[in-house]
Amino acid sequence: MSNLGKFAIVIIIVIIVLGILSPLISRHPHNLPSGSALESPSWEHWLGTDDLGIDIWAQICHGARASTFVGAGTALLAGVGGSIVGMLSGYLGGDSDRIIMRISDMAMALPDMPTTIILGAFFGPSLKNIIIAISLYSWVAPARLVRSKVLAIKEENYMKAAKSYGANFWHMTKVHFLPQVLPLIAVSMIRLFSKAVVVEAGLSFLGLGDPTSKSWGVILHHAINFKGIYFTEYWKWWLVSPVFIMMSFTTSLAIISRELERLWNGKIEWI
Amino acid sequence: MDMKGDFMGKPLLSVKNLSIEYEGASERTLAVDDVSFSLNRGECLGIIGESGSGKTSIAMAIMGILPSSAHVKGSIMYDDVNIQCLSEGERNMYRWGEIAVVFQNSLDVLNPVLTVHEQIYECIIEHTSLYKGEADRRVENLLELVGLDPQVSEHYPHHLSGGMRQKVLIAMALSCNPKILIVDEPTSSLDPWAKDEIIHLLKELQRQNNFAMIVISHEIHIISQLADRLQVMYSGCIMERGYTEDILQTPMHSYTRGFINSSPYINPYKDLWGIPSEAYSSSIRKGCPFYNRCYQRLELCSEKKPELSYVATEREIACNRGGIITILEAQDIDKTYEFNGNEILACKGCNIHIRSGETVVLMGESGSGKTTLATIISGVLEADSGQVQFLGKRVEGNNFTSQMGGIQIVFQDPFSSINEFLTVEEAIVEPLTITGIVEKDSRRHMVKLALKDVQLPYDDGFLARRCYTLSGGQRQRVALARSLIMQPKLLIADEVCSMLDPSTQANILRLLKGLQNAKGFSMLYITHDVAIAQKIADRLYVMHEGSISEENLLDIR
Repeated sequence: MSNLGKFAIVIIIVIIVLGILSPLISRHPHNLPSGSALESPSWEHWLGTDDLGIDIWAQICHGARASTFVGAGTALLAGVGGSIVGMLSGYLGGDSDRIIMRISDMAMALPDMPTTIILGAFFGPSLKNIIIAISLYSWVAPARLVRSKVLAIKEENYMKAAKSYGANFWHMTKVHFLPQVLPLIAVSMIRLFSKAVVVEAGLSFLGLGDPTSKSWGVILHHAINFKGIYFTEYWKWWLVSPVFIMMSFTTSLAIISRELERLWNGKIEWI
Repeated sequence: MDMKGDFMGKPLLSVKNLSIEYEGASERTLAVDDVSFSLNRGECLGIIGESGSGKTSIAMAIMGILPSSAHVKGSIMYDDVNIQCLSEGERNMYRWGEIAVVFQNSLDVLNPVLTVHEQIYECIIEHTSLYKGEADRRVENLLELVGLDPQVSEHYPHHLSGGMRQKVLIAMALSCNPKILIVDEPTSSLDPWAKDEIIHLLKELQRQNNFAMIVISHEIHIISQLADRLQVMYSGCIMERGYTEDILQTPMHSYTRGFINSSPYINPYKDLWGIPSEAYSSSIRKGCPFYNRCYQRLELCSEKKPELSYVATEREIACNRGGIITILEAQDIDKTYEFNGNEILACKGCNIHIRSGETVVLMGESGSGKTTLATIISGVLEADSGQVQFLGKRVEGNNFTSQMGGIQIVFQDPFSSINEFLTVEEAIVEPLTITGIVEKDSRRHMVKLALKDVQLPYDDGFLARRCYTLSGGQRQRVALARSLIMQPKLLIADEVCSMLDPSTQANILRLLKGLQNAKGFSMLYITHDVAIAQKIADRLYVMHEGSISEENLLDIR
């Protein structure tokens, strides 16, 4: 693994730790004013305060919780669910495959953001609903990926041999499919993770997020909605800090997923 | 018992239930076990078999020259006279006069201090009533008859070449105009030219003098040119008997086939493989004598000694299973693929049968339907019509591929036939894991044995290696090991060598043939390579546009 990859992993770990240990790391509460409004960064308030006087560093640390929860939830739901659907579709073939693939075509044809906005509005604002809304169309990518791999494996002679010995779906999955599709699933789950973080931020930014969650998107939403944010110098800490943390998070995830792909293509003992 | 007897009158010589046992210091050895046969006037009977099968003992018994340690049972009738019952003097009259023998050629058969003339002369004086002068003339005639220069008569045996000495022995044997000539290994130590000369001479002499002949040899080459009828002996028993040509063309006893397959004369292109292991000591006599080397043996064979009985016209064999069994029979196999509304005919009324222990090559150009037929035979693919029988039961789905002692298939592409992410052990043990036939504890041991069979390392380090670290040839061996662990009776090898380099290809091919020889499974080998077909095939099927026909191996070039 390259140094860049290691660096990315460190960033991710740091952000997750920030989220988990946020009450310990930030001296101030994330939901109550702890200073005067719109203070610039100082030793007391590292990233300044917002219009209500709430510490921004505390908000960022706490926001990591919401963002990683949405990311991990989507990655698990859409990633694992999509992979199972893809595997079944590829293995069963025939009509079931055709039906599943047409549904996935439909999910793919819908534009991501507008659909999420509508679904978000429809389900109502809550982190759980956001996860479901994002998952509803993002299961397609892992499903397609896994299906095509399973289709390729199915044609291999060792599968014909296994079949001739009377192997069932469970054996085939355990011995032949899973070890080969796991890297694909892992990579697409990481992608889903960062995608979900961005989409959640987008929804919150538009005001469709969970207002109680205090995710990075919600911080952004409040900052943007502050009249005159661009005329003052408050944007330098209030706006830049959530954008920066989000960018570092998604970029690190992207780097990790690229590194993993590179590693697994080299067939290194990893199972 | 005799074949021509019914229409050619009484046989000249008939041997009934002959058993010969040699008494040794500690144990008795049964050299000939209850053998019956007959010889008609003017015919030539060949007796063939491995060394120690009792051929020479029979010759010696007929001649009455067995050592005193031999115990003989049964009767040897020459023209209604039982030779066994004659006194030594009477027997002496039969010897040379009626029945003469040409012994295996060696220096010590001839008396080293007598000239050729004296040797033959002595023989004539001893056994006939000819006078001195007549005897001298007879010697000259005989030498002329066997094609020797008259000057040779003054030479001593050590002056002569092997071929010439053999001719002198023949001349001696013919000195008294015998009715039966027994020729024991007439050419074993001679060069090919001398062999041909002796064979030619024997044929010519038989034609002129019309004597009956028994030729004893382990050389198929000799027998096939001289003998009308052939009997194959093993461990003192007759295993197969019939017309020479028929037997050589389609041996019906697995011993005969093994024997013929070892002959370079019959198989000029093929690799030679002897019958594995050796005949066991003749003193333990229970069940079929070929039991321990036979691959289609049953429990029954260790108990019951098979009787010589007819299996076809003029063909007798001694086998509890009725000779080499047919293990697979496919009848009228049809298969059509449908692709975008077009019908593609892959198999059209295909018939194929495979006998136990043989290598059948299915040859044909790409797209002729070979692989489709093979997959149908294994049961993995279903035919549109027709059926496949394996050991008398219908092949359906994976009923035989998922069974020990069933059908196994090895594929063409070594990179696809093994999941490269698995370890060597996981790959080979897979059939056992899926079928759950063998207990977990013994699986690892079986994997090691299979690896040993395919000549791969079988230490723990190799077992734990991932298959993607292996070369194409090694992967093909692993695939082969995976098939062998199921101990198949039929192995279908689908172009297993075509993707390998020539050296690896040769190694895998020899490995396959060697394994077949050692384990006795039948093999259906699919290839488009004529040269490989000639190298390994016992029988050949050629496939063309979905139709199949059996061809003679020597006709394809």
